[in-house]
Amino acid sequence: MNGRRLPRLLWRAVVAAFVAAFYVFLFAPLVVVVGASFDGGEHAFLNFPPRHLSLAWYLKIPGRYFETLWVSLQLGVVAAACSGVLGVMAALALARGRLPGAGLMAALFRAPLQIPVIVTGFAFLQLFYLASAAGGVPLVGSFAGLAIAHVFITLPYVIGTTAAILQRVNPSLEEAAISLGATRWRTFRRVTLPAILPGVYAGALYAFIVSFGDVPVSMFLAGSRYTTFPVEMFYGMELNFDPAILAMSTLILVGSFAAIWAVQRFLGLNTLLGTGAGS
Amino acid sequence: MKARWGWLILPPLLFSTGLLVATQLLFVRISFFRDLRLGRMDDRFQLANYVAFFTDPFYLDSLRLTVEISALVAVLGLVVAYPVAYVLARMPPRWGTTLLALAVASSFITIVIKILGLVIIFGGDGPLNAALIRIGIVARPIGLYGSVGGVVVGLLLYTVSFMLLILFSVIQTIPRSLEQAAEIHGAARWRVFWRVILPLSLPGMVGGGLIVFNMAMGAFTSAALLGGGKVLTLPVVIQQTVLVETKYGMAGTLSAVVLLVVLLINLLSVLLVSRLQAARGA
Repeated sequence: MNGRRLPRLLWRAVVAAFVAAFYVFLFAPLVVVVGASFDGGEHAFLNFPPRHLSLAWYLKIPGRYFETLWVSLQLGVVAAACSGVLGVMAALALARGRLPGAGLMAALFRAPLQIPVIVTGFAFLQLFYLASAAGGVPLVGSFAGLAIAHVFITLPYVIGTTAAILQRVNPSLEEAAISLGATRWRTFRRVTLPAILPGVYAGALYAFIVSFGDVPVSMFLAGSRYTTFPVEMFYGMELNFDPAILAMSTLILVGSFAAIWAVQRFLGLNTLLGTGAGS
Repeated sequence: MKARWGWLILPPLLFSTGLLVATQLLFVRISFFRDLRLGRMDDRFQLANYVAFFTDPFYLDSLRLTVEISALVAVLGLVVAYPVAYVLARMPPRWGTTLLALAVASSFITIVIKILGLVIIFGGDGPLNAALIRIGIVARPIGLYGSVGGVVVGLLLYTVSFMLLILFSVIQTIPRSLEQAAEIHGAARWRVFWRVILPLSLPGMVGGGLIVFNMAMGAFTSAALLGGGKVLTLPVVIQQTVLVETKYGMAGTLSAVVLLVVLLINLLSVLLVSRLQAARGA
């Protein structure tokens, strides 16, 4: 037996090392950013591990990073909320409406995911140019313009996660509520909504994250004065590297992981996983 | 009385389809007009931009590079994520789901921050090169920044968690009892994997591969920041054509080509898989 057990143990060690290496790959870039942000040396940028421990860069974070962060947070919340409402409407209608051509409509709703994001950004820029030429509505460089495009790219996520859960909710529960005299609104609020809420939360979370992280779409639609945090950071890295970016990134990382921890604590792991996986 | 939900479709349908049709029509239409200077355009409908695309090696090379990088990222993603997804799916569920959530949580971090980390790691005097030189694998620092390799690693980091999530959910639906039954009948483990598990997870692999391929074809941030202006994939060229050169017609043509290539490759893969499955079923 020993002759067989040894290779098996070795095999297990190899597999465990592979999985560990995968997670190192995922998290090493984040660890490195946090580490380098505490380096205060003269030619200090991009030093990991840090050579002179210092909080210097934290005191030198330019104000525009906080301004653009505020824009991105508002944009993410608005995109998640609008996609949430529109997505629930679409998912309910597709699952319960007995609509002719529901399959085609579902495919139309998924289309924004299939179009390369850079194309979506450029196409929205053209649409907004046209809108301002035709009606004098300045959408480029405005919150409204960014929000419209972000709802467009994030809506499929909410529809997807909500529809997945709706398939598992028995429609006879709703029919029972109605036959017992509940109004349709009351049925929705007391029966349907509580059942699909995990899917709505997951979709809204994904909508927020896609909106908050987007560069290609926002880059085209943000003006020179009004921009989002990832776009500001992109230009910061591409044009004039300022080590304060490391400090700001560390703050974002801490905030992001605190938010993720709160989501899994209060809404459960499945919200993080978008209900597509897990049990 | 039946609950009528049908009318709820109207607001989201008008919003989504309206914007979809308007944006797509606009950029395809603009691709047929020649660029004059300073963002102004000729008003004759013509194929000049498409002729320019298919006769200029700069654009054709860019297209080839984009498709190659995207395909490589999709294949590498499958190779890297499949074993991890398999191990996670066969772990005790609590552990598997927690590890999966950890990987998904890492994908929630803005890609710009992750690329910043990669730039530090890849740096000439960064930790990776220091370690490689100390061990003696390489004599001189390897520069991944500004190379195709660097862009591939960046795109892999951007997409691999999605691949893991998709593969995990597919492998999880394959009952463990299949493996146990095959083993009881004396089949070797790798044989069971090769003949049973892998074919059953094939649709998920194709689906995951396509999603990653599509993401990579449109990915701008990693290519622009890790390519350092030297790896000119189509998304990078589109951004420059719009924001630096203000040639909207040409940018429209480039966008149309990217979209067309993505749709074609998706269609072909779906057809191929249904062929394969039909052949297997027959």
